[in-house]
Amino acid sequence: MTANQNEILSALVDGELQGQELDHALQFLDNNEQAREQLQRYQFASDVLHGNAYDNSQIDLTGRLLASLEDEPTYTANISTKQKAQVISLPQPFWKQAAGLAMAASVGALAVVGVISQPQSQLIPMLSTAAVEAPTQIRAVAASGNRWTVEEAEIADRLNTYLVDHNEYAGASGVFSYARVVSYDAGQ
Amino acid sequence: MRVDQELVERVQAGDKKAFDLLVIKYQQRIVHVITGFVHDPVEALDVAQEAFIKAYRAIPNFRGDSAFYTWLYRIAINTAKNYLTAAARRPPAMDVDALDATIYYDAPELKEYETPESSLMSDELEQTIHQAIQDLPEDTATAIKLREFDGMSYEEIAQAMDCPIGTVRSRIFRAREAIDKRVNEIMNQGEQQ
Repeated sequence: MTANQNEILSALVDGELQGQELDHALQFLDNNEQAREQLQRYQFASDVLHGNAYDNSQIDLTGRLLASLEDEPTYTANISTKQKAQVISLPQPFWKQAAGLAMAASVGALAVVGVISQPQSQLIPMLSTAAVEAPTQIRAVAASGNRWTVEEAEIADRLNTYLVDHNEYAGASGVFSYARVVSYDAGQ
Repeated sequence: MRVDQELVERVQAGDKKAFDLLVIKYQQRIVHVITGFVHDPVEALDVAQEAFIKAYRAIPNFRGDSAFYTWLYRIAINTAKNYLTAAARRPPAMDVDALDATIYYDAPELKEYETPESSLMSDELEQTIHQAIQDLPEDTATAIKLREFDGMSYEEIAQAMDCPIGTVRSRIFRAREAIDKRVNEIMNQGEQQ
């Protein structure tokens, strides 16, 4: 490797390469183990200086990640002209927002009072009716013990991830910390 | 950072190698962050790997509204938290059979963790890098300090030092070479012991 190539690697660590120079760097890093090691050493020294290296030990996850990512898809869509997130402006004055909030709170309070005043015997059939009348295209999936009884492994994995996330965050937000039943659309 | 965004766009356009560079750049930081949650270094590496895989899967949806590292950091934190939550339902990590144990402890990525001298070497490494900077010619030392400690861009350093950007790049490179030479000596000593 030439000094010029190492200088490009040093600039890459600093995020100072663009366009053709970045192309060039990617090209000579490809299948050039020596260049990759050099880049990792530059990066490691920088991480040590910033206190970002755990136990100041040089870690290399690229090998194991390379094997894992082999099965992952290669993206083909050119998203360089991607849509930026649109910022929705809220021109309403404060009193309008406050009025809306007060109205929502009133409706919520009415709903709570209504539910509390319902006798238990009426409430339970009402809930079960709601469950029965769910749209037919929605499939209900129930947990069996700690495992999901779903044939599609991908969906089972997603639902389990959902449960983990739910249990993690629900406790802090005051809602039930345990989800017993989750439904999903067949197209999802 | 502009380079991060360009690398992300390359991954989105089908260049997997570009993701490799993002891994090289952020792996130390991500493992460091994850060890704040997952204290076992072996498990921390697994969680870091999982976080990078999740990031790769989600990268088509990354729109650049935040810095790439901020986005990656969130993924890493969530992965670590999910790991801890899920771990509560799993057998303890030590409950592995002999074959698994061999695989874990022979992992080349972990050789540094296993040595009791690693902590001592860690301090020595940090001191060596700082000493290497102290020993540099003044211009070179100033350039690398402004870059690494003050986080200035090459353009800003060029203005501060009143010199062309190319000179800044060259000075920083020379500083890195000097540091790398010292780090290599330390690493080689560590391997010989």
